[in-house]
Amino acid sequence: MDINTVKKEWQSIAAAIEDVDYAVSGYDYSVTLEGDKVRDFATMMLAQEFYLVDLMAVHVSPLIEIVYQYAHVETRCRVMARAFVAENGEIATISDIYQGANWHERETRDFHGVVFTDHPYLQPIILAEEDVDLKPLLKAEAALKDVDAIRRKPPEPKPEPKPKPEVKAEAKAKPAADKSQEQS
Amino acid sequence: MAIDVEVLDDPKHHRYVLNMGPQHPSTHGVLRVLLELEGEYAMELLPVLGYGHRCHEKIAEHKPYKAFMPNTARMDYLGALIYNHGYALLLERALGIEVPERAEYIRVITSELNRIQSHLLWYGAYLLDLGAFTPIMYSFDDREHILDILEDVTGSRLTYCYFRVGGVSRDIDDKFVTSTRAFIDRLRSRFPMYEGLINGNIILQNRLNDVGELDRKTCARYGVTGPLLRGTGVAYDLRRAEPYSIYDRFDFEVPTETKGDCMASFLVRFREMEQSLRIIEQALDGLPEGPVMAPKVPKKIKIPAGDYNCSVEAPRGELSYYLVSDGSDAPYRLKVRTPSYSNLSVVPEMCQGMLLSDVVSAMGALDLVIPEIDR
Repeated sequence: MDINTVKKEWQSIAAAIEDVDYAVSGYDYSVTLEGDKVRDFATMMLAQEFYLVDLMAVHVSPLIEIVYQYAHVETRCRVMARAFVAENGEIATISDIYQGANWHERETRDFHGVVFTDHPYLQPIILAEEDVDLKPLLKAEAALKDVDAIRRKPPEPKPEPKPKPEVKAEAKAKPAADKSQEQS
Repeated sequence: MAIDVEVLDDPKHHRYVLNMGPQHPSTHGVLRVLLELEGEYAMELLPVLGYGHRCHEKIAEHKPYKAFMPNTARMDYLGALIYNHGYALLLERALGIEVPERAEYIRVITSELNRIQSHLLWYGAYLLDLGAFTPIMYSFDDREHILDILEDVTGSRLTYCYFRVGGVSRDIDDKFVTSTRAFIDRLRSRFPMYEGLINGNIILQNRLNDVGELDRKTCARYGVTGPLLRGTGVAYDLRRAEPYSIYDRFDFEVPTETKGDCMASFLVRFREMEQSLRIIEQALDGLPEGPVMAPKVPKKIKIPAGDYNCSVEAPRGELSYYLVSDGSDAPYRLKVRTPSYSNLSVVPEMCQGMLLSDVVSAMGALDLVIPEIDR
């Protein structure tokens, strides 16, 4: 697998591709997708011989985010593909492309109430049938965070403190100047 | 073994539904499989899960990071230390904590002992499923030695909570080292006996050969990992593919087979025990002196906003923790990807049209641990 050709293919459908530092985050690429492109992306990944590690939902404001984790058995290439569900809480299934997604999608339906359209058997899997409307992993309104709050912040804070001493120095200098003026 | 479709079209054959489990001895826990049988052939299979669901992911969101460590051990009770390891690594990566050398070595030694223990239990229990009563007596005898060794150092026998963020909770002593070395010699001396008594047995050969065949592409479609994937000829082991901790320092092989049937994964697991012994031996030889905890681990952990992943090789395949943090002192979302969940999802396709007795062979080869599926 050649990562550059693979990335070029991704670029044709992905909204954004970000290189991630494996040493900190434990994965290599973050791919942002439009909600209607998840099936195209899954087809592409299967053709490139990736396997589906996991599929999960994160409840953020304004919409629930679905994260698809792919990895490759020959080269280290761990990819997080993310897409938001539509406003009615629906997203297309990929269980006919990656059959392993079938159970993960049912689990996501249990925990977050996401409806995967055209799923062959979207019945409760982990929760009991009478708990179909429980959706236990949805956040209470007070705990719900905006999507920007869970995104990695660029490592900028270090340069920021530098101007502060200058301000302090000016502030210190000013009273000194005042004093000198008073004295004079 | 697939059967002739024309036979099935015969109206004399009728279909009926049978529950296998939740208390069936070969499902090893509360797993129910709805079988649609035609004579003795399983035509449709529908695993029914969730009997042991304990909301671990929900609990995680309401606990400080460190307080979730005991929960990790209760998902896969046979690979508890490896689950500890994955979670500790996840937090150490996110915080940039360096673990002392000695702690890394202790982690590897105890994790590999844990892996052998898990494989030994599978070995005995699988053969018991297939009707051989004696092997479980031998394998439990060996396994008991590991439990004693680990009990001395961790304080528990099954659901260990031994690893901490930044190291391990207590140091090992000379007794641990001598008894582990004695155990290595003991298990090595037992392998020829196992091979002679069991692996070459003609009944076992007939029960496992050509049953439950998987290929590389099916594994990719379902996310099947671990010994099952290695049985199809793919040498994919996360200890090699994405070396975490200090696994890149050891010389060990990744055993593979080519056929992808039950016999292949059986042999892969059996050979993995020897490779784990090799890793332990090298780690004991290179064990450095020093502290076992990193000096500056904050009491209250706060992880910068963002998402973090940590994948490790559990006895049954790929274990992956995915953490979404909002910068507070508890996870915003923690997803645990357990290997048995994905491995079991292949059963409806793998076992379609099989003899019921072969279904037992094929499901046993998955080495299911139900609490890690239900979480």
